[in-house]
Amino acid sequence: MSSMHAGSIGRKPGIAGMFDYRTRLTISLLAPVLLFFIVFNTIPTLWLLGLSFYNYSLTSGMPPEFIGFRNFVQIFNNRNGIWFDLSRTFLFVGLGVTIQTSLGLLLGFLFWGSKAMPGRRVALTMLFTPMVLTPVATGTFFRFIYDPDFGILNWILHGVFGLQPIAFLTNPATAYWSVLAVDCWMWTPFMTLMTLAALGSVPKAELEAIEVDRIPWHKRLTLVVWHHGKFILMLGVLLRTIDSFKTLDLIIPMTKGGPGQATRLVAMELNKQAFESFNIGWSSAYSVLLLLVSIAMTSVFIYILNLRRRRA
Amino acid sequence: MIVARLRVWSYYVLLWVVSIVFVSPVLWIALSAFKTRNDILAMPPKFIFRPTLENFAHLFARDELWRQVANSVVLSLTAVIIAIVVSFLAAFCFSRFKPKGTDFLMFLLLSIRMLPGPAVILPVYLMYAGFGWKDNHFWLIMFYAMFSIPFSVWILKGFIDGVSVRFDETGLVNGGSWLHVIFKVVLPQVKPGLIAAFIFNLIFVWNEFLFNFIIGGVSTQNIPYALAVGTYADGGVAWPFIACLTTIYIIPPVVFIYAFQKYLLVGMTFGTVRGEV
Repeated sequence: MSSMHAGSIGRKPGIAGMFDYRTRLTISLLAPVLLFFIVFNTIPTLWLLGLSFYNYSLTSGMPPEFIGFRNFVQIFNNRNGIWFDLSRTFLFVGLGVTIQTSLGLLLGFLFWGSKAMPGRRVALTMLFTPMVLTPVATGTFFRFIYDPDFGILNWILHGVFGLQPIAFLTNPATAYWSVLAVDCWMWTPFMTLMTLAALGSVPKAELEAIEVDRIPWHKRLTLVVWHHGKFILMLGVLLRTIDSFKTLDLIIPMTKGGPGQATRLVAMELNKQAFESFNIGWSSAYSVLLLLVSIAMTSVFIYILNLRRRRA
Repeated sequence: MIVARLRVWSYYVLLWVVSIVFVSPVLWIALSAFKTRNDILAMPPKFIFRPTLENFAHLFARDELWRQVANSVVLSLTAVIIAIVVSFLAAFCFSRFKPKGTDFLMFLLLSIRMLPGPAVILPVYLMYAGFGWKDNHFWLIMFYAMFSIPFSVWILKGFIDGVSVRFDETGLVNGGSWLHVIFKVVLPQVKPGLIAAFIFNLIFVWNEFLFNFIIGGVSTQNIPYALAVGTYADGGVAWPFIACLTTIYIIPPVVFIYAFQKYLLVGMTFGTVRGEV
């Protein structure tokens, strides 16, 4: 019988006895996730926070030494050239997301207008394939495709434009752009997917109404399609921005951040400092800063999400 | 009329060509898996050749391959199943009881997924190294489970929010317990969410390299690990090995996105966008 009264969820919290049962249930439902998080995330993150104030290297054999904010000061003073990494990363994110969004929009509109296309599902599967592949595998086989001696891309370029073989990934002038191109190949389909979703969120009745009213197409776009679709598109752009900021798996097999530092993005440098040079103190400070960046990005994401919820 | 039809068909052709262009690098690698080493490196590239299964035979003869395949399968399946069970309970709690701090916890969960990989793994690495938990299946699975939870909670909460509270009320009024409501009333209705969470976490752990590389070791290495470190042999890059392994390894994700295309959207957006394409 006792469970009967709990039926009206969240409305009668005052009934004696019920509250305890509900509290207990709440706690036991949440406990496993909280346990996971405390053990594998909260404690390590606090540890990280603590270490960021220490000079600590696993290779020197010295005990950790408290140095206050000196790690952070070093980062701001461009130790290991991280400002160059940051600008390289922002360029990578900015260009990549712009190219992917424009191409994705174009393809999305075309696919949206081709509902009756024969083999649409197969074509879409082919298009969506790049984004579910193992990034390490992708990076590795693009090294094969880009190869100056036996890569097929150079053969095609030679055949079509008569170009001499280009060492795409080992020439500092081309490496960055080659990696960016692979990133676009991988993620343009994602923006196509998001465009299709955004267009799908426009109510059919309104589309029919503008069809009947014979409204000029640019007004259709601004008045109806953009009005409904903008949130999903913004979420897509934001997810892509965050993801592209983290790019690592793709670059490791292609260039390992080289040649020189041409493709060294933020995540690459952190990976190198932490797990190749074992500069734990410095890397911890860097991670803390990246944590702040990711919290900021998450806030923006949730803000847009709530905007959409409020409107819906 | 004819002009209009022609235009429509030219769009179809264009979209097909684009799709083929996007998939062609993958096809090229799959094709290379059936070539001999000399054919792979031939210039000009060979499109017509005598297919051989020799590379696959070599690949399957490697002892460590089977261990790596087994690791890939075991790590991803167990971690994802644990994560989904745990996440479903938490998502139900967040959706129905809304305990204090729900929004904050959901926020924290998501922010973990927004952090670059090395920053996530660095403190965990220190902890694992300190406790001697490295290169251990159990602890690696636990970490992967932890990393799959945020995504699953987000997807499942979205789906549970979509199940009307009236169902719970009906169940409770008719004498069912909360457990009955959770598992017999709500669970069957969020099956699509469970499938989406399952597939996309599975693909993520399946594709994961860095965490395995840092906190795993010889006994826990998966295929991406093998691809990243085992690419050199006989004084050069082992292209036949890479081509073969890549081809086999990407089959499951590709099959998944064909079979479950309607979950793709939900899966790629943390469950925040729903719909079909």
